[in-house]
Amino acid sequence: MFNRELKKGSAEFLILSLIEARPRHGYEIGKLIEARSKGRINFRIGSLYPILCRLEERDLIAGRWVERAGERRRRFYRLTPVGRKYLAAQRGIWDEFVLTVNHVVRPDHA
Amino acid sequence: MPDWTQYVRQNLRLSGLRAEREAEVIEDLAQQLEDAYAEALRSGLNPSQAEAAAKTHITDWPALEKHVESSRCGREAMMKALQNRVEDRDLAGGGKFSLFTGLLQDVRFGLRMLRKNPGFTLTVAFTLALGIGANTAMFSLVDAILLRPLPYPEPKRLIVVGTNQLGESRMSPMGTADFLAWRDRQQSFEQVAVLDGAGSFALSGMGAPERIPGVGVSANFFSIFGVAPLKGRGFLPGEDRPGTPGAVVVSERFWRDHLDSDPNVLNRALTLDGKHYAIVGVMPGSFRFPASDPVDLWAIRVLSPPAGRPPFGLHAFGRLKLGVSMRQAEAELDEIIAQVNAQYPSSTPLAGVVMPMKEWMVSEVSTPLLVLLGAIALLLLIAVVNVANLLLARATVRQREIALRMALGASRKRVVRQLLAESTMLSLLGGTLGLLLAYLAVRAFLAFGPGQMPRLNEVGINSGVLLFTFVVCVGSGILFGIAPALETNRPELSDPLKDANRSFSSASAHRTHRALVVLEIALALVLMIGSGLLIRSFVRLSNVSPGVQTDHVLTTAISLSNKYSDQQITQFWRQFLEKVQALPDVKAVGITMSLPPNLLAITNPFTVEGQDYDRHRRLQLAEEMSVSPDYFRALGIPLIRGRFFSTSDRVEGEKDPMIVIINETMAKQYFDAKDPIGSRIQTGDPNPSSPWETIVGVVGDVKYSGLDSPSEPAIYVPYNENSWAGWAREMYLVVQTGGSAQQIVPAIRAELASMDGTLPIGRVRTMDERLDESLMQQRFRTWLVGGFAALALLLSAIGIYALISYSVSQRTREIGVRVALGARPSNVLGMVLREGLKLLLSGLLLGWIGAFSATRVMRSLLYSTSSTDVVSFVTTSIMLIVVALLASYIPARRATQVDPMVALRYE
Repeated sequence: MFNRELKKGSAEFLILSLIEARPRHGYEIGKLIEARSKGRINFRIGSLYPILCRLEERDLIAGRWVERAGERRRRFYRLTPVGRKYLAAQRGIWDEFVLTVNHVVRPDHA
Repeated sequence: MPDWTQYVRQNLRLSGLRAEREAEVIEDLAQQLEDAYAEALRSGLNPSQAEAAAKTHITDWPALEKHVESSRCGREAMMKALQNRVEDRDLAGGGKFSLFTGLLQDVRFGLRMLRKNPGFTLTVAFTLALGIGANTAMFSLVDAILLRPLPYPEPKRLIVVGTNQLGESRMSPMGTADFLAWRDRQQSFEQVAVLDGAGSFALSGMGAPERIPGVGVSANFFSIFGVAPLKGRGFLPGEDRPGTPGAVVVSERFWRDHLDSDPNVLNRALTLDGKHYAIVGVMPGSFRFPASDPVDLWAIRVLSPPAGRPPFGLHAFGRLKLGVSMRQAEAELDEIIAQVNAQYPSSTPLAGVVMPMKEWMVSEVSTPLLVLLGAIALLLLIAVVNVANLLLARATVRQREIALRMALGASRKRVVRQLLAESTMLSLLGGTLGLLLAYLAVRAFLAFGPGQMPRLNEVGINSGVLLFTFVVCVGSGILFGIAPALETNRPELSDPLKDANRSFSSASAHRTHRALVVLEIALALVLMIGSGLLIRSFVRLSNVSPGVQTDHVLTTAISLSNKYSDQQITQFWRQFLEKVQALPDVKAVGITMSLPPNLLAITNPFTVEGQDYDRHRRLQLAEEMSVSPDYFRALGIPLIRGRFFSTSDRVEGEKDPMIVIINETMAKQYFDAKDPIGSRIQTGDPNPSSPWETIVGVVGDVKYSGLDSPSEPAIYVPYNENSWAGWAREMYLVVQTGGSAQQIVPAIRAELASMDGTLPIGRVRTMDERLDESLMQQRFRTWLVGGFAALALLLSAIGIYALISYSVSQRTREIGVRVALGARPSNVLGMVLREGLKLLLSGLLLGWIGAFSATRVMRSLLYSTSSTDVVSFVTTSIMLIVVALLASYIPARRATQVDPMVALRYE
């Protein structure tokens, strides 16, 4: 639906937002993006996973193995304090960006 | 269900990730694929369709690999740099406050880094803990024994005085005549006192008779130290004059263990060596003098003016008057001793010497202690070098982070400070652990170490020791932090930014790294050579024959109380020896004044018939002792010429010609080719009117002054000879048994009790045990230094291994290319080993130079081993070479297994 570049540029932002409320595991994050975007944005495991790795290395998210009865353990990702700040900042930038882009592309609406 | 873990593992080729991280990645991906597969099944697909659907999630495996691997470092450094740039900006505010906050940030950031690498942090902390702990422990000994002033008021004014023979450097105890003259004529000291060398008293009248460690002292003894008694008083002036009743001061321990802490202990009577003493005081447990072997009794020593100048055996000391120097005191003493020389014209002229009391107490242990401290400091240095290498290796990995931070505006000073803060924190962590180790080590030393050391009761971890540890920590932190920190000074710093994936190692960092390993090898070699020398010396010492049979021989000390007259003494021994000889299993029994290997009682000058009587000639001394006829058989001392003494040699009360037996050394030195049997000698100071003594036998040499002393001339006389009878009051009993030596003890005790119920038997030791104990100090320090050397070897092996592994990993691509171009495994192996060998050879060279100068200080600790002993140098070097080659062989083997395809993909 959207092109690759757009998807790639927003992926981090999307992931951080989705785990803001509670920790989620990798596959769940992908499914959630797909569901909330009504199928218009979807990530395969192979492309989502490196982003998770990168976010984790940057201390924005932290992964932790969680075991539940009768299931294999899964790696859950949660937002770190740094990640939380970063997400807040990103939201501000995003809003400003959308506003600014709208100013440019639809001057009459502004 | 498909095995997704297996599937991922087959497809994902990760390299350069830690094993745990790699496993995590695989597990996480497999779990996600399984989730996808499960969902596909739920949506109605059959298993094979579901599997295919799940597999579409990851199609471009190489891209995934690349992303996972690249996310590993670069970004992390970027974030940190960004954060620190903000901190740097805060710092630019200037002023003291911001410097302080900057420091706090350094510490916070440092802690974060350490927490992030727990494996690294722990390795470093433990390495340092070992080094710092060992140093702290040893320093606490050196501090208590050598550095701290004596625990008495104004300890510098406490001076020991003695005499020595002309041309002799060590101080000998004084004779009574000398002491009395000095006591009465000297003007330099506020007070003077004396202590005799006797080691114990026989305590009787309080249950079973017992030997209690104690000394005889003169009246001023306690007031010189200025230590207040726990109860009662010290001695009163004049209490040591002839004709005064006996007085004794007891230790707190004795008061507690033998007198049940009796509150009315004062004036209670004690029977010591058969004489009555009244207890006048109790000294607190902290008072220990003599310092090396705590005593429980200080009995008043009555000093009557002697008939002649000898015997010598008094340790005299005094408290200097204010404003009088040691030199003045020595000049005065020397003058008084010269007057005594004139008073006894036939005696060997002596000179007076003085020495600070502390030096007198600790001089014997100071060299071994300082050598041990030096060895341990070397060990710490090796540990520090190892840590520096680890940090340096990490610094090359962290270079990108540092480069970024500097590119983003952090000043170089700031970065260096940050790195130093980190290394100091590491060393403080190590130091804290080390302190714990030191505490345990000191406790262990006090419990199991060689007990005969002065001032051990003062050893502990105190503020001085803590300060030492702190300084060592900060010092080593800076030492091992400085090399990596200086690496930031490189102009090529921007290079690391250019490539995201490669890890960097500048040529200079590698050079530093190599130099450190060379240094480490050199230091380890110095320590190993030192320990090699000690081991060799110890082996030689252990193989020295004491000259006697050591198995199946039981020894103990027995001393007769003062109620025995000289004549009764010889009667007592004759009967007692007969009784013991009659016991079953006793092969031979004898008594002696001196016992091998190190319990020599006296030495005596002698003159061989025909020598002149010039009293200024070089003094010739022999170890002289009275023994019973069967002494030689009891100890298996071989007869070389002539005969042993026999019971028929003397009939009590009659005057027979005096006879002696000499040892082989004396026969060789003074009778050369001549047969000494029948020759005559005189003993005592050269004097033509001394009685002549005829040599009737020559026996093998026996060590009486320690296994490490050379054999000296020795003269044996019969114990029952008139002039020697008085000396036989305190004798060692020597029993050779057929079976186990210990089993005979109760029977001997019973025989002794049957003759006199008040006589205690001293510590019972087999001759083997005595030999063992005489080597305790040497054995202890040999083991200790050997242990340090082993640790040093291990640390440097780790150092070499780490460096070569690191360099192999850096050269993987190069090696891959070589292999691809046809290099054979042996070429690769040789190439890597050569690198290790180069380091090794430089290290060995440096180590030899170091060892040549360092081992010189050990000379006094070595027994018939040169401090440049070739065998020690060569064997330890070979050992180091073998270990070092092994340490480089392992990574070299790994290098030969490099798969060129993998290596080339590495980039």
